[in-house]
Amino acid sequence: MACEGPVKETALVFYWQPAYLRLMSDKKFFVSRYEKLGWKYRNVNLKQAIRINTMNSKEAEVVKRLQSHGIKLDKIPFLQSGYRVSWSEFSVGATSEYLMGLYSIQEAAAQIPVILFTELTDKTVLDACAAPGGKTVQLADLMQNTGAIIALDTKKQRLTALSNHLERCRVSNTIVYHMDARRSSRLNMKFDKILLDAPCSGNFATDKHWFRKRTINDVKRNAKLQKEILAESAKILKDNGEIVYATCSLEPEENEFNIDWAIKNLNLQIEKIDCYGEKAQTNIFGKQLDSSIENCRRIWPQKTQGFFVCKLIKCECK
Amino acid sequence: MIEPITDFVSRFNTRISLDQRLILRKKNHYFLIDDNLKRSVRKGFFYAGTYLGKTKNGKFFPSFSLLRLIAEQDANQIAVDEKTEWLFICGRDVFKRGIKKVKGSKRKGDYTLVLNQQGECLGFGKILRDLNEKIKNGVTIQNISDIGDFLRREKKD
Repeated sequence: MACEGPVKETALVFYWQPAYLRLMSDKKFFVSRYEKLGWKYRNVNLKQAIRINTMNSKEAEVVKRLQSHGIKLDKIPFLQSGYRVSWSEFSVGATSEYLMGLYSIQEAAAQIPVILFTELTDKTVLDACAAPGGKTVQLADLMQNTGAIIALDTKKQRLTALSNHLERCRVSNTIVYHMDARRSSRLNMKFDKILLDAPCSGNFATDKHWFRKRTINDVKRNAKLQKEILAESAKILKDNGEIVYATCSLEPEENEFNIDWAIKNLNLQIEKIDCYGEKAQTNIFGKQLDSSIENCRRIWPQKTQGFFVCKLIKCECK
Repeated sequence: MIEPITDFVSRFNTRISLDQRLILRKKNHYFLIDDNLKRSVRKGFFYAGTYLGKTKNGKFFPSFSLLRLIAEQDANQIAVDEKTEWLFICGRDVFKRGIKKVKGSKRKGDYTLVLNQQGECLGFGKILRDLNEKIKNGVTIQNISDIGDFLRREKKD
């Protein structure tokens, strides 16, 4: 997944204002939207999280090895193999265990989407917006390197990072293409599962300059791109296949509104999920959405970064 | 097509069996896939299955996946202590005193895998002095490639 940057032309509209005023007004604008959604803005201080790659080693063994280096880990209760790093004298990205692919550094909320799929072994899975590959490796881990993952991304440099990630973590069931997810039907394949960790506007918890950089036009632009990828994904998904849709955006246009559009236009249904986070709302800014939207999950920044996640099933062709 | 790989592997006094049908070449990069991936692979892929390495200026540069495959065979290998493990993945050569175990060739000029105490492959190097030579210390294995390279690549990106 990539957080898509602002577009210059869009930004120009706002830049006639002095920077401090613009910053205040943009921040106020977004914060007031969060309040309307029932969440009071507060700054968050995220702890680094890791995920053990159980295809390469036993979880307990890796934890023991890291603890022997003096690294303090706390199990994250809502994840399978996720731990928070509560203390480490050095970077957890520089241990020999990391370099041997025994674990990955992956933010806690970012570990949620992949665990929502049911039965991944031997399946054909599309990771539509894959780089830098944290979730691709997690998919391979849950698949125990069986089946096939097709991983796409549009930026070549990010594909190199993705490939390095796959090599380090000993992933052997993945094929990577330099391809826009909106063109994925060109692969001439049908998928059992699709992970759509969509390019989005991101959120302030992982980017301290977020309010300075973002405008509502960025949000709208990303929402349009996400709809296009959703539509293409629905085309190449097998009947009864699953799409897990996720963004790290807090903006309803990229989340609830998009999913409401998808279930009304793409022969998809929302499946109830049981995971960390709160039920998504069905009435946002005065707009009434489909009641099944409440089965999506919205995660406000607190112990994790902000996230939105839902699971869609393709209805059988009549 | 796989000669660069087999030639490289032979420098560790071992062989690995690779099914030519399942080796893909993309420009100068080599990949190993299985029958399942073979059905899914399309023209223009960027990366597939297990990366084996690349050739550049007639020389073969192995991936760490290939080194792990070699380590599973009866290949030349040394096991090093914890301090030497850390120094090695930081790009340093191996001193005689850091070597705990030797398997296979001890001959100067041969390649040897470098493993940690858990038997995990950290990279490979070239034997600079016969390992039988009675010296107390000094550089014995020249570091050619180590897993610290993943960090160096991240910084480069």
